[in-house]
Amino acid sequence: MSEVRQRWRLTFARDEDARYLSHLDAVHQWERAFRRARIPVATSEGFSPRPRLIFAAPLQLGMLAEHDLADLYMAERLTAADLRRRLIDGLPRGYRLVDIHDVWTGAPALAPQLSAADYRLTLFNVERPRLQEAVDRILAAERLQRVRRRESKTTTYDLRPLVLGLRCVEPDLTAHTETNRDTPAAGAAAAGATSAGATAAAGLGQDRAPMAGLWLRLRHSQDRGSGRPDEVVAALAEYLGLEIYAPADDTDDAAQTDDGRRLATGGGERSRPSALEVLRPIRERLWLVDEVD
Amino acid sequence: MTGSREVYESPPPLAPLIVERLLGRVRKPGRYAGGEWNSVSKDWSQVALKWCLAYPDLYEIGMSNLGLRILYEVLNDRPDRLAERCFAPDADLRRELRRAAGGPSVEAALPDVPLWSLETRRSLRDFDVVGLSLGYELVAANVLEMLHLAGIGLTTAERRPSDPLVVAGGSIVLNPEPFADFVDAVVLGEGEDVVIEISDVLESIGWHRRQTGSDGVLRRGVDRASALLALARIPGVYVPSLYRPRYLDDGRFDRLERMDSVAPERIHSRIADDFETTVRGIRQLVPNMAIVFDRAQIEVMRGCTRGCRFCQAGMQSRPLRERAPDVAVAAAEQILDATGYEEIGLTSLSTADYTYIREVGTELHRRRPDVTLSLPSTRVDAFTVQLVDAISQTGRKGGFTFAPEAGTQRMRDTINKGVSDEEIARTAGLAFERGWSSVKLYFMIGLPGETMEDVLGIAAISQRVLELGRRRHGGRAAVKAAISTFIPKVMTPFQWDGQDTKDEIEAKVGALRKAMHGKGLTMTWHDPQSSVLEAALGRGDRRLGAVIKRAWEMGAGLDAWDEHFDFSIWLGAFAAEGLDPAWYAQRDIPTGESLPWEHLAGGVSMEFLRRDRVRADAARTTPDCHWGPCSNCGAPAATGFACDTGTDGPRRLLVSIGDEGRAWRYPGAPGDAARAVGTRAADGTGANVDATRGQLRGWPYDLLGTEMQSKDAGLRGLASLVEAAGGESTG
Repeated sequence: MSEVRQRWRLTFARDEDARYLSHLDAVHQWERAFRRARIPVATSEGFSPRPRLIFAAPLQLGMLAEHDLADLYMAERLTAADLRRRLIDGLPRGYRLVDIHDVWTGAPALAPQLSAADYRLTLFNVERPRLQEAVDRILAAERLQRVRRRESKTTTYDLRPLVLGLRCVEPDLTAHTETNRDTPAAGAAAAGATSAGATAAAGLGQDRAPMAGLWLRLRHSQDRGSGRPDEVVAALAEYLGLEIYAPADDTDDAAQTDDGRRLATGGGERSRPSALEVLRPIRERLWLVDEVD
Repeated sequence: MTGSREVYESPPPLAPLIVERLLGRVRKPGRYAGGEWNSVSKDWSQVALKWCLAYPDLYEIGMSNLGLRILYEVLNDRPDRLAERCFAPDADLRRELRRAAGGPSVEAALPDVPLWSLETRRSLRDFDVVGLSLGYELVAANVLEMLHLAGIGLTTAERRPSDPLVVAGGSIVLNPEPFADFVDAVVLGEGEDVVIEISDVLESIGWHRRQTGSDGVLRRGVDRASALLALARIPGVYVPSLYRPRYLDDGRFDRLERMDSVAPERIHSRIADDFETTVRGIRQLVPNMAIVFDRAQIEVMRGCTRGCRFCQAGMQSRPLRERAPDVAVAAAEQILDATGYEEIGLTSLSTADYTYIREVGTELHRRRPDVTLSLPSTRVDAFTVQLVDAISQTGRKGGFTFAPEAGTQRMRDTINKGVSDEEIARTAGLAFERGWSSVKLYFMIGLPGETMEDVLGIAAISQRVLELGRRRHGGRAAVKAAISTFIPKVMTPFQWDGQDTKDEIEAKVGALRKAMHGKGLTMTWHDPQSSVLEAALGRGDRRLGAVIKRAWEMGAGLDAWDEHFDFSIWLGAFAAEGLDPAWYAQRDIPTGESLPWEHLAGGVSMEFLRRDRVRADAARTTPDCHWGPCSNCGAPAATGFACDTGTDGPRRLLVSIGDEGRAWRYPGAPGDAARAVGTRAADGTGANVDATRGQLRGWPYDLLGTEMQSKDAGLRGLASLVEAAGGESTG
């Protein structure tokens, strides 16, 4: 175990290129990125020392992020400017540095300080008024019994107190009309940019399915429990009488929990008269205890 | 030159929303998302000729392939070329794509979605060339599935004028005949240089220019037939449609008729001419999810002179070429810097045979003590144990693995795995002494000339090894014997030998199972049905194209995976076409008979193979020319390479001194002043990866998963190799 000389709190965003990483794969990508950028990260003790980069909360596969948090423990002292420069070039592809600030090395660990998380997502195949009704019913409910499956065990829990905020918003698919990977952001051949935009629109138009946006603030606390956006979506779908099409858990990944999203996997043969699809789930930000409630 | 550069066609990519919706429906979307470190997305309007490197198996397998990593870089290094990737979709995405393409209608049906490239998400149909990697016979149905999902005509004849050329390469293309209907051209041998030559020819004839004619049909600047005639002039390129096979009345292959004078009578496989001093594939793709061989790879050697008679990879990759040690070390560092990988594999068919393995291993460890080294080896000797022991930092997990291949000395001499019982015991003993408590042994059954005594010899030697382990580790000692079924491979001395029938194999396995009992001794054996298919397709002729098509139509796919492989489909397909898989797999072919693949010349000559087959019958070994005299295998004559042998002491390095008529000379050992070889000197800085050289790079698809090939264990062997990874020998 190397001595920790500095501790930095990183605020970062995750976009499309890194979107489908599981938490475990993401950790690997960060470790490789630090090695490429030769950032002197402190290592953990143990049989196989790992770089000490501690994420506040794992991002599930398929989830984007705007302001996620991680603590980075350094084996050498760097100036903020130097570290910032190295991180900007040295982050794994699909991650963007938003901010860094230093933290006292003896400060409490990051994860237990979490209190809540904000999410934004788009629901495909539902009209906004209908979604609004379902949202109102959840907000009005006193209890919201849900079943959580973990391996072979099932437990019942109340989702309602974990929902701190919930509202319908405009669907956010801006990234889908952005330029494509091969078209440089500025000075792109006009033809290329237009066709990309046009096809993005075509992708929506051809389906002619209604869409609505959903914003959620969920409790995210080690002591008081954490809500997951897909659990809320499942509850909404139940009210709406719809099934859900959503990303399946990567079962190889121990960091992921299994909680009913299995409904969505595999069985392509079953006919679903109408199914809710979750598009572009984004974690907007994480709140620490001293920031909310 | 005017200021304005040519702007090339840039068809629209798939709508991001559609991709997102599809990826939301599959179990491992990371396989299809792209965006990996070192992946390259180019602006299509600025690039003349576009390749899609299509690997007909899952991402986890395809991304492990060093050949893919190399060709990807070779093509993308050129500003006027690009290469993107595509892998076979797993069952879940395949189902979604088929449904999208007009299957049973469901809610909010997706529009028709073609199979797309990972980088810029364009349909495979929009590329100029689809480069298909054929590393394994059982990918046959996946090839058709990918072409179908991409909307590309399945056969050369069915392709639309605008469809890309489908060019295959890979380790099994020395007999591409069963695939001949589905590919426009085949590249034999190493492709680093050929992919560039093909690209240049295609650009010069205007293949990349697509235009809609007055009749509303989208066409290319030149028709497919003309393009294929142009490609047939490139050395190493085989265009199957320029040949027509003839068969005898009794069904045996007779001869190949050439349809055009351009088509050469024999096609020789290509050899990259600068392997010793130039490393390609530095900025290796770093996958976003765990893959089978999840590590950086530096090839230290190509070719193998051990001469194991069952091994196709060894026979067809000659001549042996070794990387200059300073070049290998410098490149390994560059690769580690470019990827951030924590582990690097020193790859080849048998890395313990690399002359400079000690130097390279030691130096790499000195420079990068935090990086784990791993290596595959087919050698069974003390040196291998010492080597693995020295570089292994991950403890002793997984057991020490090596491959005696056969149970008796006589059988091992027959297959030219000239290792004695004593050596096996000594090797295992040393492994136990160095701390491994478990040893895994690979064996084959069904080898040519095998008797029950040979089969039971497997149990005897396993017992003997176990006893050695007991002496050191007591009850903790374990021996695992992994048994596979022999598969005759073309271009090996055993290409004429039939496979054992199912009954014969089962009798042998049954007897062996009875003999292999006792605590600490386990035996694994895999059901041989896929070996029958592998042998039939491997030794097949062009008539099997119809069988592959039929099997695919009947639902075959992902056949290398146990959960998907269904032998009854294939039996049905053979029957429907009036062919018998047993005739292809189990027949002993007289050595005088015409072979459907005889027009394709790999490393060694047919004369050598016949001669070596006779020696096998007499249980006579053929010495390894790495350490001893030349065995006249014919590789130098066929490839124009000079070989050095080990007759007069350790073999010296071959270094190319330029392009002039493939001139070579021996520069001496590292540090020797004689090694200064013109401008391309290996100066230890890695600067030999120079710009002009970078333009002439290629296709070592026959290096596909060298570990996989080292025992012909195929995918079935992968799990155990992965288990053994992390510093252990895998041979």
